[in-house]
Amino acid sequence: MTESYIWFMIIGVSIVSILPRILPVALFTRFEFPEPLKRWLSFIAPAVLGSLTALSVLAPDGFIYPSIHNRYIWAFIPTLLTAIKTRSLFYSLLVGIVTMALLYNFF
Amino acid sequence: MQKQELKQGIHDSIPIILGYLPLGLAFGVLANEIGMSIVQATLMSFLCFTGAGQYIAIGIMQAGGAVFTIITANFLVNLRYLLFSASMVPYLKGRVPTALGSLLSYGLTDETYAVAMSRYQKYPPTASYMAGLNLSSHMGWVLSTLLGALLGSYLGNTERLGLGFALPAMYICLLVFMIKRKSDVFVALSAAVLCLTIGCLAPATMGNLFNVIIATVVAASLGMLFND
Repeated sequence: MTESYIWFMIIGVSIVSILPRILPVALFTRFEFPEPLKRWLSFIAPAVLGSLTALSVLAPDGFIYPSIHNRYIWAFIPTLLTAIKTRSLFYSLLVGIVTMALLYNFF
Repeated sequence: MQKQELKQGIHDSIPIILGYLPLGLAFGVLANEIGMSIVQATLMSFLCFTGAGQYIAIGIMQAGGAVFTIITANFLVNLRYLLFSASMVPYLKGRVPTALGSLLSYGLTDETYAVAMSRYQKYPPTASYMAGLNLSSHMGWVLSTLLGALLGSYLGNTERLGLGFALPAMYICLLVFMIKRKSDVFVALSAAVLCLTIGCLAPATMGNLFNVIIATVVAASLGMLFND
């Protein structure tokens, strides 16, 4: 792998990862979105989080793994309960990480 | 500059940084192994700040793929940020100056997006909060990459510490925070099912995260059918 290959890759990747983040804010802030579009956009966050939660728990290594041997599914349960009960990111993270560490080391 | 808002942003970035730590470390180690220098690996994390995209780059390099393939794959993976960024516009409008808001959107990721959106449900956005949250998350990603590239394979297995569950735990909790209407539950569940189904039918989408984009667009559209 040549030096120029790596630098070209880094610059290319940075362009395609920066533009989609910046352009909508840069271009659209001066316009008023119509109500239906605003409503549609309000569903983006729950939809993205639903997808990411499902993927990160059911496919932690990049392939779908719905098995009782998948520790992520077991750790999901106490974490979800903690999140609903405490509504605290800190406690949810703590419970999730500790559960995972226990599962990893003892099961 | 509002100091309190900046502080709050930095405070809210702590769980994100905790989640990035093992991922950034691992990226640093892998990048080093594949022949990138410490400077290149760190600079890539600084300039690109795209976890999934950077891992894809490593994978394609390992397979001997072309630069063009890496850039195309990253273009696809990062398309979801168009949606994120657009859905922030109604919140930022009139509260954060456009130029500053655009610049700070450089630090938009799955995680900073989710944390910011859950905050904006209760508090109006400010440039200071955005700066605190995005810049410190970005810094965390860059520093953990640097650390990984420096320490290389001296690091043991961070899975042992349970840190692998930091990001999933964050997604779960933020999902709970984001759900306020019945339609939100419906949208989140549909997106989850769609995303997994698409991933099953077209495994390639698991790698480029196109399943997330399709599931998000379809599920958000289904939400429009609801009347609440």
